[in-house]
Amino acid sequence: MSLSLLFQSVLSGLTNGFVYGLVGLGLASIFRGTRIINAMQGDFALIGGISAVLLLERFGWPVAPAFAAAVAVGGIAGWLMEVLLIRPLRRRGGSEDSYLLLTLGVAFAVSALVLYAVGRDSHPLPGLGGEGIVVIGDAAIRTHALWLIAISLAAMGALRLFFAKTALGLSMMAAALDAEGALTTGINVPLMRTLTFVLGGLVGGLAGVLVGPLVTVYFDMGLLLTLKGFAAAILGGLANPMGAIAGGVTLGLLESLAIVTVSSGYKDVIAMAILIVIMIAMPNGLLGRRLRKGG
Amino acid sequence: MSPLRRTLVWGIPFVVWVALPFVATRHIVDLFVFAGLYTIAGLGVAFLLGQCGIVSLAQSVFYGIGAYCTAWFCAHKGLPSPVGMAAGIALSTGIAALVGWPVLRLSGHFLALATLALGIIGQVLFLEWDWLTGGTLGIGGIPRIAPFGFAFDTPFRFYFLVWPIAFLLLVLHHNLLHSRNGLALQAMRDSPEAAAVLGVDSHSLKVKIFVLSAALGSAAGSLFAHYVTFVSVDSFAIDRAISFLLLAVLGGVYTVWGPVLGALFITVLPQWLSRLGDIHAFVFAAALIAAVILLPEGFGGAIRNWWRARAAK
Repeated sequence: MSLSLLFQSVLSGLTNGFVYGLVGLGLASIFRGTRIINAMQGDFALIGGISAVLLLERFGWPVAPAFAAAVAVGGIAGWLMEVLLIRPLRRRGGSEDSYLLLTLGVAFAVSALVLYAVGRDSHPLPGLGGEGIVVIGDAAIRTHALWLIAISLAAMGALRLFFAKTALGLSMMAAALDAEGALTTGINVPLMRTLTFVLGGLVGGLAGVLVGPLVTVYFDMGLLLTLKGFAAAILGGLANPMGAIAGGVTLGLLESLAIVTVSSGYKDVIAMAILIVIMIAMPNGLLGRRLRKGG
Repeated sequence: MSPLRRTLVWGIPFVVWVALPFVATRHIVDLFVFAGLYTIAGLGVAFLLGQCGIVSLAQSVFYGIGAYCTAWFCAHKGLPSPVGMAAGIALSTGIAALVGWPVLRLSGHFLALATLALGIIGQVLFLEWDWLTGGTLGIGGIPRIAPFGFAFDTPFRFYFLVWPIAFLLLVLHHNLLHSRNGLALQAMRDSPEAAAVLGVDSHSLKVKIFVLSAALGSAAGSLFAHYVTFVSVDSFAIDRAISFLLLAVLGGVYTVWGPVLGALFITVLPQWLSRLGDIHAFVFAAALIAAVILLPEGFGGAIRNWWRARAAK
């Protein structure tokens, strides 16, 4: 194996890794705020991606406002999801499994609705920085991939500041950690849960517009993205959303090494086997400190 | 319950069951055969979920192993069907024990996702090991089940093979739940600490149930291969595992006959909805969401509760 091939595969693994990390970031944020594993996190990305496609192709919007609006649509989807579905289930006393099944059902519904509305075709999205390429040594990386990495890191940093420094972020954490205690200090716990989903939807929408230019947007993209994102979040330690990015990058790099050394067909086998082994051997993830439930 | 009502409660469904293939079209009978196959595989998933609280998304793997073993031994090697089925069950239970031992140490969401990861690994290996499975081209020419020269080669005939097997398994399941092991299972589900104190080894019990569940999935897969005579990787993708889980949840895991209702729901309803055109997939997903929110114990649980409330009046 030549060195340049290895370097090239590291670059593509890095790019994929940040995509997984972004999906994992949304998953971990929602888990941290509500203790729900959101099996439709990848479908937030589908919603964001397809919104961007429709705004660009059907309404002729320029790229930047279309992408911003698509991220906002992701947030709205998160809000609707919590208010229309999660809340009624909570009122009826849903179990841990029933939330997983509910979000899985929503993932099917979103995918089916996109299939109905826009068909089976894959829709390409233009990248940030167009089709430009940056050459590093004797390997090349798309300008868009650099944007993706920069924006992912910025999103991670912003979320960290949001949860640690702002009153709203701290209230959301308090509502998640001790709902009754938060209520007695005057925090609107149901609103915080809704906002957690809005936040998850925004991060998911962001992942959608960023992944669209790399893999195209299609109706069935959600579930696999969710799984990879979940693997990323688990690797990073689910209780620590910032770990998701690190977990995603680790996963992306391992996958790209698997492609170079074994064969591209086994990429998912290796990713999933790593996921299982990490869950059993390192219950708190690579970066996690705290114990997690259900170990 | 009075003897007359008992007779009616068991008699009417039985008469409907016997009469159905005589009056329904071939297409409908075909759907009911699939409902029977899914009942068997889904029973394994329902058992795991209802008795151990384990969400399994790996049943498609065992379903696939059963089908490929039947295809390999019966189509390639020309051996009789019990050999294929037994080989499938042996391989499935072996793998389930080997993988289940470490994986079942996990619990909750993490275990659910570990089984999903297993389902994906299975799906990829079925595709990649095309020297064994035929990949997307599949394996054809699987012989029918034909004991004493009588071939179960039409939906009508297979209906009367698969449903008695399914009913027998449901009865065995019912008996197991009321045996000592079944009671140990309930104790483990409802109060793990108390069960441990009483000497119930919950980890090894979970592994045993996982192995049993895999055997059911594998048997259903073998029957499936004999019925359609052609298997390819499309039949064992992760969405099949999701349908097995859905039928268990929708049917209700706390009633013995819940999986039958769930299996009918996921086989017959989508076909019936398909007349609505492309929107049918969405309507199905919406029905699923509504069922999860409105019927926490599934159809079986809802009917049982309704029946008990009625009897109490």
